[in-house]
Amino acid sequence: MHILSSLWTTSLLLFCTLSISPVWALHESEAGVVDWQKTFIGVPRTDRPQIAPSFLRVKTKEDETTSLVISATERTLGAVNPVDGSIAWRYIFEPLDPILGYYKSGNIIATLSGAGGSVLRVFDSLEGSIIHEKRLHHSQNGQLYSQRSLGVNVAFGAPKTTGGGQKTKDLFVLTNGHTVYRIDGSSGDLIWSWSALEQTSLVILERLTVTDSTIYAIGIAKSYASYTLHVTALSSGTGELLTTQNIPSSIENGSDDFFALSPSTSEDPRLVWIEKGVVKFVGLTPKLTGKPQSLKGSTNTRIVDVGLLEYGLFVVRRADGSASVFKLNQNAIESIWDFVDSANSNKNSDSMYTGAVDKEGNPYVGRMYWSFALQAGVLHVFTPHLLGGKGLVAGYTFPFDTNNDGIIDHYTLDVVNPDGLQVLSRIVVTTTTGAVQLWLEDKVQWTREESLSTVALAEFVELPERKGIQSSIAEGENIIGRVLRHISDAQNFPRYFVGFIKRFATGSYASVSAAISHESGLYRDEFGFKKIIVAATEHGKIFGIDSSNGHVVWSKILGLGSVASVGGVIVPVKMFVVKTVSDGEVPQVVLLAARRGFDDTVNTVAYHINALTGKDEANNSPGKDILQGTVIFPGKPSEAYLLPSKAKTIILLDSTNNVHFYPRTDESIQVFGELAPSLRFSLQTSGRSLHGYQIVQDANDKNTFSTYQTWSLSVPNNELIGSIIRPTQGPIASLGKVLGDRTTLYKYLSPHLFAMTTVSKSSPNAVCSVYLVDGSKGSVIYHASVASTMGTCNIEAVLTENWLVYGYYDEDFAGSHQTKGYRIVSVEVYEGKGINDKTRSSELSSLSNKTLDVHFYERSFETNQPVAALAVTSTKFGMTTKDIIIATKKNQIQSIPRRLLDPRRPKTDPTAQQQEEMLIKYDPVVPADPRLVISHRYEVANVRKIITSPALLESTSLIFTYGLDLFGSRVTPSNTFDVLSESFNKAQLVLTIGGLTVAIIIAKPMVNRKKLKERWFQ
Amino acid sequence: MSVTKVDYSKWKSLPPPPGFASLPTNKPSKVVNTSRQADSYAALKQKRAWDLAISPAKSLPMQAFMLYMSGGGVQIFSMGIVFMLMFSPFKNVAAINAAFAPFAPSSSSSKSFSTLFIQKIVYILANMLTLALGLYKCNSMGLLPMGTGDWLAFETRGPSPEISLY
Repeated sequence: MHILSSLWTTSLLLFCTLSISPVWALHESEAGVVDWQKTFIGVPRTDRPQIAPSFLRVKTKEDETTSLVISATERTLGAVNPVDGSIAWRYIFEPLDPILGYYKSGNIIATLSGAGGSVLRVFDSLEGSIIHEKRLHHSQNGQLYSQRSLGVNVAFGAPKTTGGGQKTKDLFVLTNGHTVYRIDGSSGDLIWSWSALEQTSLVILERLTVTDSTIYAIGIAKSYASYTLHVTALSSGTGELLTTQNIPSSIENGSDDFFALSPSTSEDPRLVWIEKGVVKFVGLTPKLTGKPQSLKGSTNTRIVDVGLLEYGLFVVRRADGSASVFKLNQNAIESIWDFVDSANSNKNSDSMYTGAVDKEGNPYVGRMYWSFALQAGVLHVFTPHLLGGKGLVAGYTFPFDTNNDGIIDHYTLDVVNPDGLQVLSRIVVTTTTGAVQLWLEDKVQWTREESLSTVALAEFVELPERKGIQSSIAEGENIIGRVLRHISDAQNFPRYFVGFIKRFATGSYASVSAAISHESGLYRDEFGFKKIIVAATEHGKIFGIDSSNGHVVWSKILGLGSVASVGGVIVPVKMFVVKTVSDGEVPQVVLLAARRGFDDTVNTVAYHINALTGKDEANNSPGKDILQGTVIFPGKPSEAYLLPSKAKTIILLDSTNNVHFYPRTDESIQVFGELAPSLRFSLQTSGRSLHGYQIVQDANDKNTFSTYQTWSLSVPNNELIGSIIRPTQGPIASLGKVLGDRTTLYKYLSPHLFAMTTVSKSSPNAVCSVYLVDGSKGSVIYHASVASTMGTCNIEAVLTENWLVYGYYDEDFAGSHQTKGYRIVSVEVYEGKGINDKTRSSELSSLSNKTLDVHFYERSFETNQPVAALAVTSTKFGMTTKDIIIATKKNQIQSIPRRLLDPRRPKTDPTAQQQEEMLIKYDPVVPADPRLVISHRYEVANVRKIITSPALLESTSLIFTYGLDLFGSRVTPSNTFDVLSESFNKAQLVLTIGGLTVAIIIAKPMVNRKKLKERWFQ
Repeated sequence: MSVTKVDYSKWKSLPPPPGFASLPTNKPSKVVNTSRQADSYAALKQKRAWDLAISPAKSLPMQAFMLYMSGGGVQIFSMGIVFMLMFSPFKNVAAINAAFAPFAPSSSSSKSFSTLFIQKIVYILANMLTLALGLYKCNSMGLLPMGTGDWLAFETRGPSPEISLY
């Protein structure tokens, strides 16, 4: 009997698994149709030349050269194909291993990352694969000196041929400002290393210059008011210290004020620096016996390394802003070109200088500035080798669109000299809005909106429905007019009919949005899969993205308003959809931002935007492409809320909890005055405490409101409030959970519930916690402590209805014999003490004692990967099962069916009643099923947040994730129960019905005739 | 060889064969005889009426067995049986006067409910038993809205007196 029952259970389980499996999986035919992905490298860092974007010329296997644009942020290194702007490859670094600089030499790129340059990686420039990787010191021993002088550098030795006939270059690596390594170019083995002695620890080595015999490590030693240059000469072969000494000098700005010219590895390099307006230089020899020499002129302010040190070229800027190109010629350094009109003027912006090398190895120096008169960018390229060595400048303007792309922050130059005096140049521009553009002469070839990798806030906005054919009915229309109108309306009928037939014959669930999106105009498709995602980025730009294919529909720069002259940043705070299609109007969003000028003024600004076009709805920016906001109050907002009333009013609180409105109209103030007595909100007031507030209307002035504190909640001493997680909004389909015996567990649906996670201060018994808090009175409904890993816990949580899911990393508790691993905990809160006990929690007053009358179900699960972000699917009516969507650190987006995370999964074999509830036996491991991965083969990196939105189909939920990459898809947690399946044979059905109709038409007269005949001849 | 003695007295009380009627009795006794016959006929009717009244109860074991055999699942066969079981009491009660009409005493109207009143009440009760059996079966199949879960969809909740801002 026992065997029989277990057999029965097994077969039932198998049946369940089989019948459920197709629900989880994404069909192959849908991959790339229902989902899309945009990959980014990130907004390039431009503040240091070692990390700023640059052109790289690489030899391919076919011995041809190709160019790549190397772009890097602190977390990513990537190469962009200059032809079409696609990513050739990219490599993502760990958060604790930021890139300090990349150093390129033909087919290899070396990076130093981590504290003090602890890790060296060498990449193949063409493929992006790692050739070798070496940890040079433990990251705990890394030292960071300052943002400007990091004390790391990589120099490449002379090419040498290895045993296999390959040409490699050894690497000389400087880390931590005092250690030099020689690394074998092919194997990555350490050949030698040298560290500065303790007594010279005041010296920070900054740069390496390599000759055949000697390595010069040039650094700065701090003296009283300024820095003194310090040079250490090492034997190239053995790393033996040859000489180390100070150069009599006094520089002010650290590593920006000196560099070494090294035209060839066989020649002695020259160390060039600027000292009190005078450019000085000294020849470097192994004995360091050279005497410093000065160049003429004492009004110089800066020497600029344009990346042509190997050609002996650099740029000197003078006090008036004018610039000259200097070149090392034999033993003298002389000015070879003065850029005309390069002095500061109010007609042009300050010039930026950079260098380039063409295919033949000729150097070029570029100068770029913005001409206020022409409203265009101007590029001059100085070509030293043409006209018999006299040099010439080729220049042109390019129509950079500053209203759409901001201000040019950095550029890198690539030049070809096809024949004679013809010089063709292309530049890659990085703008303040995070766009990367390639300009070929005066034509923009492509634009990469890298700021989309810094999306701070995003919202789905529903699109309006396409109106049917509408023709205006004129007043007093007579019969002829009416007939004519119908005829003109009927013109569209054939198109409609063809469209109907086509949709009927071919339309499918998967491709519907793809098919629709080709049509012009911003209208929703039948199933509501096409929405606009309004995404505000950290680089002062806001985008409207088509949710069905990821294309940017519109983009706008957020204007700086009154701080435009000094510059500033706009930090998005909150975004609200204030008008939707269901209001019968054009959908509108309001972005609230803190506008921080570089003059340290902070204002709270509201940008009121048409979600379909990006147009300013507040009419602050007439006739301009730049959106201007409405200043609401000076200072940072502490919180902002959208009032749950028909008139969508936003209320904002400043740092002293005064109430402000947007839009500030009499109507909105009146509505707020009516609602004010019942409003409750809570604010985090310090690291450890949370305060709840109520609002009171001033008795005398009906237009002023103030807040008063009603409760406070403090977390224990060793914890700090990390994040506050609001419950997801959306309709609640069921008030309870019906069990197998038709009794009910009533869900705890308090509208005041929110979740809070805490992080731990590093103390010996550090714990982090998850709380469920009643926001109307500050009582803790649920509390769980999880182990802290080295003082941090990355708890990710999501709360929907009465269901809380959180993920964390569980370090093993001492002595508890628990294995460490990534956990997902699922908690459900129900009313009362048990089954059939209801307290009507959703309509309870906060004064009621019953709000704390709850019970829980809790289960913990194990996953094999850390959770980077969590979200829950949302559907139109909330009836469809809610699945959990997680972004893993494996750069995948995965869905976990609710059935797997059900906290009521029994630990024993499920009874008949539990089987009726579709409960399956508890298994601590969430299976790593590749069919659950909705991002399939895409790599969706560094996801910060997932947002979901309902489609018009109840079965379907839209997903959008943002982080480094953007990813959009849609999921059907309970399968597509409201559309015919893809495999349904529509043609067969139609043909059968058609065939039967024809058969009836033919057979009916025959039968009638036969009947008649029978009557006659009976 | 022995000859069995036949006891003729056994057949003395046998009624005569058809056509060999016994001598007709005299008139007075005939009257008495007729009234007695009518009485016995009425008693027979009464008896038959009682039989009919308790007949639904008699078939209960059989029906219970059939229900047991039809299984606990909600399928076409079990549903058919349950439906018949649930429907027949109502049908029977609706046609109660017609069902008892043949057994109604000739003195009273066969259409009246008060005729054979006790039998009819018992008949209704017996039908109720059948109905109860059907309901029990429905309940065991989970078709009766007995649990709170069956009424959950009709429950509503008003808005909370306080509004939390998020």
